Amino acid sequence: MAGDMKISAALARRSAVIFPFLLLIVLLTLPAAGLSANMVRMLFLTAVWTITSLSWNLLGGFAGQVSFGFAVFYGLGAYSTALLMHAGVNPYVSFLGAAATAALASVVIGLPTFRLRGPYFAIATIGVTEAVRVVMNNLDITGGASGYRVTEPGPFRPLEHYYTAIAAVAFAVVVSIVISRSRFGLALRAIKQDEDAAADLGVNPYACKLRIHAVAAALTGIAGGIYARRAAFIHPGDVFAFQTGISILLMPVIGGIGTVWGAVLGGVTFGLVEQELVANFPQVHLLLYGSLLILIVLLEPNGLVGLLRRLFRRTRGDSGSQNADQVFWGRGGLEGRKL
Amino acid sequence: MTAVDYLNLLIAALLLAGIYAAMSVGMTVIYGVMKIVNLAHAGFLMLGAYFVYELFERFHIDPILGAVLALPVFFAFGMGVHWLLVRWLPKSDTPTLASLLLMFGLWLVLQNVGYLVWGNMDRSIFTPRTLSVQRFGEITIPTLGLIVFAAAVISLIVLQIVLNRTWFGRSIRALIQNPYAAQIVGVDDQKTARLTFGLGTAFAGFAGALLAMLFSFNPDFGRQFLLRAFVIIVLGGLESVSGVALGALILALVETFSILKLPAGYQPAISFALLVVVLVFMPKGIAGLLEKKWRVT
Repeated sequence: MAGDMKISAALARRSAVIFPFLLLIVLLTLPAAGLSANMVRMLFLTAVWTITSLSWNLLGGFAGQVSFGFAVFYGLGAYSTALLMHAGVNPYVSFLGAAATAALASVVIGLPTFRLRGPYFAIATIGVTEAVRVVMNNLDITGGASGYRVTEPGPFRPLEHYYTAIAAVAFAVVVSIVISRSRFGLALRAIKQDEDAAADLGVNPYACKLRIHAVAAALTGIAGGIYARRAAFIHPGDVFAFQTGISILLMPVIGGIGTVWGAVLGGVTFGLVEQELVANFPQVHLLLYGSLLILIVLLEPNGLVGLLRRLFRRTRGDSGSQNADQVFWGRGGLEGRKL
Repeated sequence: MTAVDYLNLLIAALLLAGIYAAMSVGMTVIYGVMKIVNLAHAGFLMLGAYFVYELFERFHIDPILGAVLALPVFFAFGMGVHWLLVRWLPKSDTPTLASLLLMFGLWLVLQNVGYLVWGNMDRSIFTPRTLSVQRFGEITIPTLGLIVFAAAVISLIVLQIVLNRTWFGRSIRALIQNPYAAQIVGVDDQKTARLTFGLGTAFAGFAGALLAMLFSFNPDFGRQFLLRAFVIIVLGGLESVSGVALGALILALVETFSILKLPAGYQPAISFALLVVVLVFMPKGIAGLLEKKWRVT
């Protein structure tokens, strides 16, 4: 029995390393295997959502700071990319510009709101979204509320967009894993659990929050840029919508807050379900996610990852799967956490 | 701008402050007792608006009476919500991630149920009172504004009496000031929390009903007021009723007089700007500055 557990733990550890690469290879070869154009579009959008889910998780999951305002970074990324590409800058360089703009905005938002503990940051982000959308709706150089056309010379290449998005997801996953295993990641977790204790141990909560906020914003900005380049037309009611911010928050919470693969799982699930539901029943879509959010908070704070973990535990030895979980899913959950 | 114009604006700001205070006070008591930032407040405001709308359209009940009726109905509703959802949250002295997300989920549900039931069209309640005004010399005051202001102020005075004179009110204040000591002297924190949640929801429904008389509304109605309510309770130092009144007055003044300088399109950005200013310069709110002199709850 003990031997079995050891084997299953080792197996899980190895599969934890191999599985993402396998997934990546499948995703990269899928279009060559003759995927329909619509499927490529769906996977592209899902990938973009997954990037935002991963970045929200950096701030919300690792550091425990809930933000309703990631639409700001998404939208700023989209608009920066559009404006830079319009000026003739290479799209990939434009994405960097998008990341820089979003990171800058995150500092501007974070400087006053991270000064205080408690719900201030979370609520302020609702206001930021409203304020930025108002400004964008009235801004002349981006066409205000009527939107902005993203111009790129040459034919439309859906596969290039697709591969860009997949590469960005992979990048976001790597960034998340590197941060979660670093000293910085540990500091963030310490802040999430007890800010005073973290400060006593020499962590500067204010600086750490600002830094992770900037990283998360930069990644979200890139996602917005990738989206804008393919969409070719953006307007504030879309990229800066409060709904966008809500969606970005829902994904990692549904998947499993605080875990890298939970954020991925949440993003993929949300992305695929959203495509089907939002077109036909926009209200049912958010009603469903609202109910899911309530159920998750009350019954399974670890989200889908937590559910999977329970399934695994039922079929395998308890301590063995516990060990495997830690390797495969990382650690997370939101019960009783202070903001 | 003449002196009369300024006076008119000042009165408009004062009237706005009344409804702002009524709308924020529910969030304050819930935050004070349970340390929960009630994002579902926006949903309750919206339901309050549709409550009087339905009563008015179906049964021709006067919106003012409807607003009063909203109080007991939403009190019961809030207690139900607490019993069903809120009481399962882990207890904490500070707001938790779980509580924020739960209330947010509830808001999403309420809002989208609203969309399913009433659609996304803007509605409004139109009575003969809607367009009438009272004239005092050169000063004009909308009748409805006066009525809503009176209703809001009366409700706040009643609340203050309840908080000061009843066992329930004293329990609330005790839990706000020191939850541990309160429990030691025999305050039932679960029961008080349930009643408080009912009270907060009742005020949300009531304020939503009052707002519905002044503005048009749709299922996303509460959101624009959620941030305002939060700015107000932050200005007021998060936990006191008189602080809320003060915060409401300041926000109303800033919003009203900013029209002179800012295009109307930028209005929604004002409450956020004010929040930032408050957070940076007086983190404990205005009441925090006065707290040592007059301990108010």
